[in-house]
Amino acid sequence: MRGSMFDKILRIDCSNKRGYSWDVPETLKPYIGGIGYGTKILCDEVDPKINPLSEENKIILTTGPLTGTMAPMHPQACIVTKSPLSNSILDCYAGGFLGAAVKFSGIDGFILEGKAPEWSVILVDNGKVIFYDASPVMGKSTSETETWMKQKFGNDVVTLSIGIAGENLVAMAAIFSETRTFGRGGSGAVLGSKRIKGMAIRGTGSVEVQDPKRFSSLVNDNMKLIQESCSQEYSLVGMFSRFGTGAGMSLVQSRGALATRNHIYGSFSKAPNIDGQYYEKNFYTHWVACYGCPVHCGRVHTYKNNDGTDGWGRGPEYETMFSFGSDLENSDPDLLAEVNHLTEEYGVDSLTAGVTIAWAIEMAEKGLLTEPSLPMEFGNAETILGLLKLLSERKGVGDILALGPQKAALKLGGEAINSAMQIKNSGFAAWMPRRMKGVALAFATSHRGACHKRAPIGAEIVGHVDMSSYEGKAAMVKEIQDTVDSIFTLVSCRFHEFITPHPIYTEFLQASCGMNLELSKFLQVGERIWNLQKLFNLGAGLTREDDTLPERCFTEPVLGETSEGSTVDRDSFNTMLDEYYTLRGWNKAGVPGEAKLKELGIEEYADKLLN
Amino acid sequence: MAVGFTIDVEKCTECLRCSGACSLIKTGKVQISVSHVVIEKRWPKTPEIWVCRFDDCDKPCIEACPTEAISIKDGIVVIDPELCTGCNSCVEVCPYRAIYLNNNSIAVKCDFCGGDPACVKECVTGALKLKEGSR
Repeated sequence: MRGSMFDKILRIDCSNKRGYSWDVPETLKPYIGGIGYGTKILCDEVDPKINPLSEENKIILTTGPLTGTMAPMHPQACIVTKSPLSNSILDCYAGGFLGAAVKFSGIDGFILEGKAPEWSVILVDNGKVIFYDASPVMGKSTSETETWMKQKFGNDVVTLSIGIAGENLVAMAAIFSETRTFGRGGSGAVLGSKRIKGMAIRGTGSVEVQDPKRFSSLVNDNMKLIQESCSQEYSLVGMFSRFGTGAGMSLVQSRGALATRNHIYGSFSKAPNIDGQYYEKNFYTHWVACYGCPVHCGRVHTYKNNDGTDGWGRGPEYETMFSFGSDLENSDPDLLAEVNHLTEEYGVDSLTAGVTIAWAIEMAEKGLLTEPSLPMEFGNAETILGLLKLLSERKGVGDILALGPQKAALKLGGEAINSAMQIKNSGFAAWMPRRMKGVALAFATSHRGACHKRAPIGAEIVGHVDMSSYEGKAAMVKEIQDTVDSIFTLVSCRFHEFITPHPIYTEFLQASCGMNLELSKFLQVGERIWNLQKLFNLGAGLTREDDTLPERCFTEPVLGETSEGSTVDRDSFNTMLDEYYTLRGWNKAGVPGEAKLKELGIEEYADKLLN
Repeated sequence: MAVGFTIDVEKCTECLRCSGACSLIKTGKVQISVSHVVIEKRWPKTPEIWVCRFDDCDKPCIEACPTEAISIKDGIVVIDPELCTGCNSCVEVCPYRAIYLNNNSIAVKCDFCGGDPACVKECVTGALKLKEGSR
């Protein structure tokens, strides 16, 4: 044990329905935790070529040195697995209270291995693993499953679960933890493939730190900084604190970058009906925070369901306001809140699901796709609710949509692929590559596909840099990717880094678990992880061809008065991609060079993962 | 001198910083399960904050204790662990779910940190404040 790190990970062998403690080896410790632990363990133990839904795949759920402590904005847990959506390595995150519960169990994380002989629910009671029959909750929603687990095991457990989408191995199925979501990349389908319907974690233990006095002083400084930011009118985090993550929609709209009608338009005239301010005014009940977070960007809303009954839920978040709002030309805030809640109940990533549905409606309008049971119209409640249900159930046209936008489009053939707004089969996050050229490169080179967590969104949308320029974006994207992968070893909330100077991370690291790293070495951990993940993806068969954008981005100008005429110039994009690969020390095919791998100390993985 | 909290559950974000701070000051570690202030989620409704209300309570715990382990010192309701037998009587009568038995079967509760509660300092939204006139 090193301060806040227990140096113990729980291995849960689903095939034999048992758990055992695994001591973290010395070679893993330099990877700090979170994404670092998950990435190295997956690369060490899982062949990149496996079928992600086979029992060879693993789900590695990790926390970091700040999880469970008083450090603000560090509630999240990280899952690393091989994605059934993108066939790549996947890291995804959920806030809430799961990370802290894992830590209070006296472990730094757990690894799910194998495949249960029958559908199961797992109780992890202060590190002790007990399997239960899941039949009473099969076919049930995530909230019903969570309620059942709390009734069975007690209200003091924190749960995670999958809905019908995870049971049906929908490629974009997510894992839910009490309305917080491991959204991207289909981790819910991997959990489903292991026949695990849910887990309940009871952690009643404690977390301590190496240097309590220093740690407490850092916490106080950081709290002060965050609270100052929260009180500033135009601070992004301050706006999130007051209005939730949907606070910035009008800014995005004014910049012509609010993707609308499957990315045909860059603005949505009815956006003021579905933004954060509107929800705050009309649907708000109370603020909710993740563990230990003073920002409290979450909201519980009440609304009317489409059938007239009362509904409530947490959210929608900004990304969903795009994917089930503007991208579907849906300006009905009740419908958006309901459909957001249903993505949780069915258990799908609201981003890729919404993007896939937007594409499907466009295909239907062009006569390339039919669903006899539904009207196929943008902005139509019946269409949106119906397609989401069919996708989650894998019924009718939903069986194709459940494959993800790229695979569904390839199945349709012809021009269908051109307007599927995806990268590596992962649906676009709420940003427009044609308007924001740094985002274009970040989306394209993202290991999990179209990732918004490692894109220069703030700098481009606020105008710190010219968003339409290709100049300097390669270096900017590389720096963001490496930095974010570094802070994700601590499983920091992505918003934390918006307002916290980088040196605090190494200071926190030292005070929490005694790790002594210079800032440059800390940031190099992120670069190491980025390269390791790249090797995994190359080993899985991904190539330079996968680091690109959908054809619509190159050939169809964005419509709408604030974004008229924008495209991504193909030559400029390729030049930017070349520049990016060079900066990374990779060759033209995107393969990391020997020198770079040696510099990072991961040269042995080239042989291991690429052969 | 007043002793107590002003509680506004409408402002509580359920972040648990109060519980974390309570456990930290009492044990030197963060351990939510032993906190003397407990946040109960009740979505979609606002949460409950369970903690001793001191001046704002009739203090049935004092009457209920068969060993006179509970008394008022400087206005603060305190439990003498030497006298407590762990009979659970105070736990049962407390209207604010503010008392529980610890691992040694001794009743424990908020002691107002002697007048400067750690939980209040962590509450950024003002859901949990010192009652006016409190020390």
